[in-house]
Amino acid sequence: MVRVRPWVPYAYCAPLVALLAFIFGYPVIKVVDFSTRLVRGSSGPFIGLDNYRNALDDPTFRNAARHSATLLLAVPVLLVISVLVSVILYEQVSGWRIYRSVVFLPYILAVPVVGIVASYMFTLHGVVNDLLAKLGLKALAIDWIGSEHYALMTVLIVIIWREVGFGIVLFLARLMSLDEAPLEAARIDGASWWQRLWHVILPELRGTIEFYVVIAATTVLAFAFAYVWTLTQGGPGDATTTLEVYIYNTGEVQSLPGQAAAVATMLLVVMCPFIATLFWVRRRAASDALAEAA
Amino acid sequence: MDELLAQAMNRRRLLQMAAGGVAAAGLIGAAPAAARPTANDIKMWWWGQQEAVGIQTWMDDTVKKFKAQTGSSVSPTLMDTSQVIPQFTKAAAAGSVPDVQFLFNGIYHMENVWLGYLKPLNGLVSAATIKNGGGTSLSNYAGKSYRTGFYSLAFGVQYNKEHFDKAGLNADSPPTTWDAFLNACDKLKSKGYTPISGGIKDGFLGEWWLVNSLTQNLDSAADALNLFIGKLDWREPKYHEHWVKLQELYDHKFWNDDVTSLALYPGIQLYNSGKASMALNNTPALPDSQKKLGKDVVGFMKLPTFGTGKMAPYPIVDTQGFGIPSKAKDPQTAAKFIDFMHSPERLKAYWTLSQQIPADSRFDPSVINNPLIKSTYKKFVQAKHNVYIADLMPGLFWTDAMFVISQKILGGNMKGSESGDYAAKITQKWKKQNPDEVKHYTVWGKDLKTA
Repeated sequence: MVRVRPWVPYAYCAPLVALLAFIFGYPVIKVVDFSTRLVRGSSGPFIGLDNYRNALDDPTFRNAARHSATLLLAVPVLLVISVLVSVILYEQVSGWRIYRSVVFLPYILAVPVVGIVASYMFTLHGVVNDLLAKLGLKALAIDWIGSEHYALMTVLIVIIWREVGFGIVLFLARLMSLDEAPLEAARIDGASWWQRLWHVILPELRGTIEFYVVIAATTVLAFAFAYVWTLTQGGPGDATTTLEVYIYNTGEVQSLPGQAAAVATMLLVVMCPFIATLFWVRRRAASDALAEAA
Repeated sequence: MDELLAQAMNRRRLLQMAAGGVAAAGLIGAAPAAARPTANDIKMWWWGQQEAVGIQTWMDDTVKKFKAQTGSSVSPTLMDTSQVIPQFTKAAAAGSVPDVQFLFNGIYHMENVWLGYLKPLNGLVSAATIKNGGGTSLSNYAGKSYRTGFYSLAFGVQYNKEHFDKAGLNADSPPTTWDAFLNACDKLKSKGYTPISGGIKDGFLGEWWLVNSLTQNLDSAADALNLFIGKLDWREPKYHEHWVKLQELYDHKFWNDDVTSLALYPGIQLYNSGKASMALNNTPALPDSQKKLGKDVVGFMKLPTFGTGKMAPYPIVDTQGFGIPSKAKDPQTAAKFIDFMHSPERLKAYWTLSQQIPADSRFDPSVINNPLIKSTYKKFVQAKHNVYIADLMPGLFWTDAMFVISQKILGGNMKGSESGDYAAKITQKWKKQNPDEVKHYTVWGKDLKTA
């Protein structure tokens, strides 16, 4: 047997580690560095934590944080719809393959396309209100994106509409790989649909649910910019300004990349528990799979 | 050492090495001679077709004629609206810039001047072009000019003459005072028309409103600058009266009812489709409105006056323009091209090829064969006019004050009388976050006072 020196495996990994550190680590370090400077052009003088203080003192930032947190309401809605629809499709209602494709369709559309089309549909005289009027529901026809009171809810609706397809397909894929025996046994024992869902299916989906919750939360917190920008640009007023819109406005329009970097750093810190949870879920799923195989 | 390493590793070096490899493979000479850049070939990043529809024809022709006359090629790249300036700033920071750069007026290029990314044009571009070429006073800093004009645009209110006639208004003598304007809106509304249309979703209507109306209570452009940096106080009634007037139009329901859910241009489309009687707009858009409504149907007027400042009687005119980046590879050819754009033959071609008006006082307007544009040129561009004061507005004021206040007022969520307090707070925030820019603005203010 050939003896390998202990450092040899590390040497093989080193180029890839260095590449990853450069691609992912360097930008993060640069963002943190920017967050401590009054950046003009490519750099600027060190100003300590002033950018963080300025952001935290800024009511627009606090509103943006509140709006981003509000968007997290999409996560439970996405979860419930995804699980319920995937279970219904799993039961193979007639035409389920067509339904599966239809519900996944919005997810393959680019977010800006969805946002722009929705921004026309949700105007005061847009398709949505026309449809409501035709259905005799004129009382429900509101100024979806033009009113401070409804605009964030409209953003939420559009996010859910597009993102739910991914959840449905994800849960359906997991359901397809389930061992049928426990479900069959529950059926023979006379368990109702809800009982089967609650006591058999949901426990089996636990790992997928954890994974999906983390992914969905990450999406609405850190990847919702294109939705908001194409629908409302953060308005009316600052009613839909989220942390991402705040970062964009601060960095690009207000020429304060340092302060934008400070907010991005704070957002990264907020995201860290989500990322850690995601790693934990995946590691546990892998060890569960190993245990099952053994 | 770092510099050497960067030199060794940068992309240009890699491309050179790759080119060397190709040469070694015996492929030298495969590319046609014409494709190889010469010392006098320059690059230009420009913008304008999106606003002044048709200007691309003029630009293509100008590039072709410049090549024929001088032998130098210009490679133009039409930039996206939202990226034309941020992209330049990033490119300038990275040291990889075009030779000629499109520049919006005022703060949109002045920040790049302060960063040292633009060359003063004095001594590079001819004195005649600097003097007559429509750079405007907002392009001067510390006694130097950094921009010359491209095309010019006047701002005001376009109106539908047929609607005016049907409402019993004199279309040849549109309202000039605020009371007459409200009266006209009332009459138009009673005839079933939407008196004035727009869309505030993207904020630009708020900017146009501010420019057309705040200007009326200012004595000079320096007043606007002093408001933006907090040396004058937004809470003084005359400095937020324009937002009170905006609320007045909202209270009377003179705007289209979906003004808050539409962006600027879909809002203007209500005018172009004949549903609305008036819309804030600028002159490059007038030919398009004429195409849609009829040549004799479209009128253009200054926003009726309510203000009492020295600037109140005059219309608003702005120019788009060009400058030369500090790290341009061939600033001399770039300057020659800028001068060429302002040559008499090229100035004439603005109209003959693109139906646009050049930003140059040497332009002979007799070539204009569209009566509306001709009269607008005379009443707005050739007459004494004001600069476009939003060009002095810091980005923070745009996003956090102008955008927010105008949307809140048109959504019925803020009173015009509350806007002064709100704007003053944002100005204080800007001062706190941008101590270095306050100094630059102060120097700039001196240039504006002496302009």
